[in-house]
Order: sequence, then C-alpha cells, then structure tokens
Amino acid sequence: MSITRRNVLLGATAVAALAPIAARAETSEVAIGVIYPFSGASAQIGVDAQKAFETAAEIINNKYDFDLPLARTEGLPGLGGAKVKLVFADHQADPQKGRAEAERLITQDKVCAIVGTYQSAVAVTVSQICERYQIPFISADNSSPSLHRRGLKFYFRAAPHDEMFSAAMFDFFDAMKKKGTKIETLSLFHEDTIFGTDSSNAQLKLAADRGYKVVADIKYRANSPSLTAEVQQIKAANADVLMPSSYTTDAILLVKTMAELGYKPKNIVAQDAGFAEKATYDAVGDKLEGVISRGSFSLDLAQKRPMVGLINEMYRAKSGKDFNDYSSRQFMGLIVMADAINRAKSTDGDKIREALVATDMPGEQTIMPWRRVKFDEMGQNNFADPVLLQYAAKNFVTIFPEQAAVSEAIWPMNS
Amino acid sequence: MTAETIIQSLASGLLMGLLYGLIAVGLALIFGLMDVVNFAHGEFLMIAMYATFFLFAFFAIDPLLAAPLVAAALFVFGALVYLCVVRFAVRAKANAGMVQIFSTFGLAIVMRGLAQFFFTPDYRSITHSWLGGKTFSIAGIYLPVPQLAGALVSIAAFTALYFFINRTDFGRALEATREDAGAVALVGIDKNRVFALGWGLGAALVGLAGAIMAMFFYVYPDVGASFALIAYVTVALGGFGSVFGAFAGGIVVGLVEAGTTLILPPSLKSVGIYAVYLLVVFIRPRGLFGSL
Repeated sequence: MSITRRNVLLGATAVAALAPIAARAETSEVAIGVIYPFSGASAQIGVDAQKAFETAAEIINNKYDFDLPLARTEGLPGLGGAKVKLVFADHQADPQKGRAEAERLITQDKVCAIVGTYQSAVAVTVSQICERYQIPFISADNSSPSLHRRGLKFYFRAAPHDEMFSAAMFDFFDAMKKKGTKIETLSLFHEDTIFGTDSSNAQLKLAADRGYKVVADIKYRANSPSLTAEVQQIKAANADVLMPSSYTTDAILLVKTMAELGYKPKNIVAQDAGFAEKATYDAVGDKLEGVISRGSFSLDLAQKRPMVGLINEMYRAKSGKDFNDYSSRQFMGLIVMADAINRAKSTDGDKIREALVATDMPGEQTIMPWRRVKFDEMGQNNFADPVLLQYAAKNFVTIFPEQAAVSEAIWPMNS
Repeated sequence: MTAETIIQSLASGLLMGLLYGLIAVGLALIFGLMDVVNFAHGEFLMIAMYATFFLFAFFAIDPLLAAPLVAAALFVFGALVYLCVVRFAVRAKANAGMVQIFSTFGLAIVMRGLAQFFFTPDYRSITHSWLGGKTFSIAGIYLPVPQLAGALVSIAAFTALYFFINRTDFGRALEATREDAGAVALVGIDKNRVFALGWGLGAALVGLAGAIMAMFFYVYPDVGASFALIAYVTVALGGFGSVFGAFAGGIVVGLVEAGTTLILPPSLKSVGIYAVYLLVVFIRPRGLFGSL
C-alpha cells in the first residue's frame, strides 16, 4: 500500500479515535476482594450480594448526584480517578474455604482490601488471613459480637452487632411492659454456628439482667432436614416471645413446622438473617404477619432521604429485589472501604487502615438510619443504631426506636 | 416430659422415616443391581423437586397429580444417565471403582451447577397445594397431611415394588442380573437393558419422593445434600442392596432421630442415627437385611 494523503488521514483518524481508549486503559484500577457464598446452601445470599456490590461500584465509578461519598466523582479522585474493580470469591459457607480464598485474593489477585462474608463463622478465618497479610477487612454484614473483640488491627465493622441488636429488642420489651403489656417468658431458638451461639449468649445475658425468664433455649443443627422435635419443645414452652436466630433455610422450615404442629407463637422477634430474606416471605409470608425482626435498614428511610429510594431502584434493576438488611449493609461496606482507600491515596494496607481509623462519615451520607460511621479502637462502629421492623400487610415498617418509628407495633402478632 | 410429647415425637419420626425409606430405596436398588453407589442421588431428588415446583408454577398442576408425571420423567432421566454416563464408567479397564465414584460424583456437581445457573439459587416453595399446610390432629397429636400422604405413598410404593420384584418376569430378570450378570447373558437377557431399566426405576422412586417433599420442603440447588447423606446411612443400615432393608432402615433412622431428641439436645439429634449405624456396622457389617 502506497502512502497517499488519504491513508495518512485515515490513519490519523484511527489514532485519534483510539486515543481516549488508550488513555482510559492507563487509568489504574483498584482491586477489592469480595468474599461470599456463591454456591452451596446459601448461594442465594451471595448472588444477591454480588448485585449490591456492583451497584455500589457503579456509583463509585460513575457520576451520580447522591449525597454519598464518591458518588459525585468518577472513580477514586485520591488515586487519580482509578476505578474500583471487584474480585469475587466463593467461600461456600465453609470457614476453611474462606481462609483459602482470602489468601488467594491477596496473593494472586493482589486485592488491597477485602469485604465479606455473610456467615460470621467464615468472617473469623477471613479476618485472620487479612490480619496476617496486613490487608484491611470490613465485615459488611456479620453480626457476631465476638468478631471485633479479638484484638485484630485490620478488622472493621460499620454495622451493628448482635449485642446491640439484642439490646434494642430488650429495650423494646421494656418499653412495651411500661405500656402495660405482659412480657415475661422468652424462647430462644438458634442455629449452632458462631452466629446463633453468640446471638443466644447475648440474649441470655440480657434476659437475666432485665428480669425475663428464658423458658426454652433450643440450639439446633443448621440446614436440618426436619425441625419437628425442636418445634415441639418451643411449643411446649409456649413463651410470650419466640426469638429465633436462623438462616433462611431453617427459618422457612421453622415456620412451616410450627404451622404443621399447630403452634401459633404469641410473638416472634427475630435476629434478622432468614427473617430478612424475601425467600422466606415468599414461602411462608402468610404465617408471618406481625413478625418483628431487628434490622439496620428500612426502606421507610426513602421518605426522608430520597437517594435511598433511587439507589434501591438501581439495585432492583439488577437483582429484581428491594434492598434488605443484608444487601444494604453490603452496599455500605464497599462505600466505606472505597472512601477510606480514596482518602489513603494509596493501596497500601497500612495506609488504608489508617484512613479507616480516621473515618468519620455523617449518617446522612449513608443509606442507613445510622448516626455516623466512626470506628472505635476495636474497629466497631458504635454509632450504628439498630431498628426493629415489623412485617405487616406484606411490608416492613419501622416500629422501634421511637424516633425512627413510623407506626405502632402490632402486639401480639396475630391480633 | 409427657406421654403426649413422646407419642408426638415417635409419630413424627415414623412419618419422616417412611419418607427417608422412599428416598433411599432407589439408591439401594441401583447398588444391589450393579454395585454402583450413585453419588448423584441427592441431585436426582433435587431435580424431582424442581420438576414438581415448575409444573406447579407454570401449569398449576398440584404436586399430588404431578407425582406420577415426575416419576415418569425421572424414569427416563435415570435410564439416560445409565446409558450416557454410567455404562461407560463401569467399562473402565483400570480402577473401575474410582471411575464409577468420580463419574456419579462429577454428575452431581454438574447437576448442582446447572441447577444454580438456570434456576438461580433462590429458595422456592409451593405456597398452596391441596394438602400443603394442612394438619390432622387427634388427641393433641398433630400429623401434617403432606407427610401423612408421603408415608402412605411410601408404603404403597414398597408394596408395589415387592410384587414387582417377586412376581414379574422383569423383576426376576432384575434379581437374576444382580446375582450373576454373566449367566443371564447366556439365557438371552440383555444386561444393558436391565441395568438401564433398573436405573430408571431407582430414579422414578426418588422422583416420587421429591414430588411429595416439594409440598412441604423448600427447593434450592443444594437441597439434595442433607437428604442424600441420610439416604446413604439408611441404605448402609438396612443392608446394601436390599430394597426392604431401605424400608426398615428408613423407619429406624426416623424413629431413632426422633427418639434422640427426647433425651439429648436437638442439635445432637444426628448422634443417635450415627451411633445406631456404628453399632450395626460393628455387629452386623452387611446391615440389618443385607445379603452380601
């Protein structure tokens, strides 16, 4: 081919057209590891979580007019507009697989931070690996109180833990008693990993401190094929309040088995988990009218803070579901982590850790009803106020604490 | 502990046990026939439950009516699995045992993965069916109607199976092939055909169980795992290869599981099952009704 004027022109045009792509490719990426159960019994959680994280990454990497950190800029301005790249890893709800996957994310995918994990039992091992490699870890949605009390320097949790959640439940009971409602006896029903155990320990202690009688404390094996014997025991106890700490599969089976054995609990106040999942309400929602669950999120907030509704729309476009207590915390987990990386202006673990320690995010700049995000010396955010939500007429409404409540509690649940 | 609690526990245990037997019998049948342990048995159950769910969701066919359809579909599926996978695995020249294990194990992983890919990992339930959610109660003892129906179907299936194996030509061919596959070839029985039909029958039985279970249990890609484990114990307890061992094994497992919870905390209820299993293995390694 001879060099004609036309060819030169064509070539120049091509180069000009490609130049922005080349320039874009030069902008570095920041890899953040996201470790969730994408297969196995709780795969549904992981698949929904992936959509929540992708929503957060989309907001960080593009321009949106939300009063949320990093929304109004493209990428991370502190790192020259670098985009956040999510690297997903599957732990299958197995602490040992979690350990191996965290190590792989750090050594092979070179992630500078990790967010996880749904199951608290897996957060234990993942956070230990992060500590060893000095990579910051945010527990987006783990709620076991023992997690932040292990003296780990690279562990952070923006959301409340089960002692805070359980305290809110007992505050609520106290408030109801003051109004003259009779609440004396409690049945605890919890699964046998760290989530259920920590939750029931917190509840046992609170019950003893505040003078409630625990008439049944049933620990069951997670993912059981049948819960008949367990339900018989809580039926025999027939407490004023049933307090389950169960993942989705067991929550569905629990509610079905209670109906089969003719047991209508007077009230259910649940430690979230299965009782926050759409799947549970799709399956047995008709039997859950009036169930109360703790939470750290409520779509009610959209009335006061419109961006919550808009971000929820973005999430729903991806997942076909509304934000729930889990997906909202997962979303915030990435925002908090990306905000720290941005302020650290570096992908170095120590620098990100320092930035996380210095985090002070006002509650209005989150999608949660929290006062602020600020970590104590153990990496726990104590300004994340839990709420209690009641499922009524196919919707969750906030009923406690009073300043956040939009409606009175229906008590007992079947009334 | 009242008499009521004990009776309720044992009644629930018996119902569950009959269902465990129905889930396990296909496994026992296939093992007895050709010494192959089907590690994808739980996934067969999962497919059956999904089939029932989709028949309900798209065509509003009640699980009770869907049960024969699902069993028929699983029959075809089981036969195809034999003809397309297992037939080649058993031909392996070296390490035949390993090849069989890995082929069915691999099949299980593929089926689970495909189910998650196509059906998503969401938990599905049949929200309203003719029997679902109904409960039958006498003197304070509650018997859920779906499980009651499951128990009746299980007893009917085992009775039919008994006559089928003992009174029909095909049943006798099945028994003969199991005794000596080489000799039956001499009398003109096509081994492959008998094996394929055996796999079909085994799968159809688990299909029946899946359809019943879909009435009261949630469905998701991993649902087979916990039931398959119980099925392996049931078969080993009842005696490998013995169809009626599976029936007895299922009842024993159900009753022991329920009985354990009367004494121990519920989180330890599997302990009873495995303790009885260990005892049987020590005292009578071939299982209660095993003939091997």
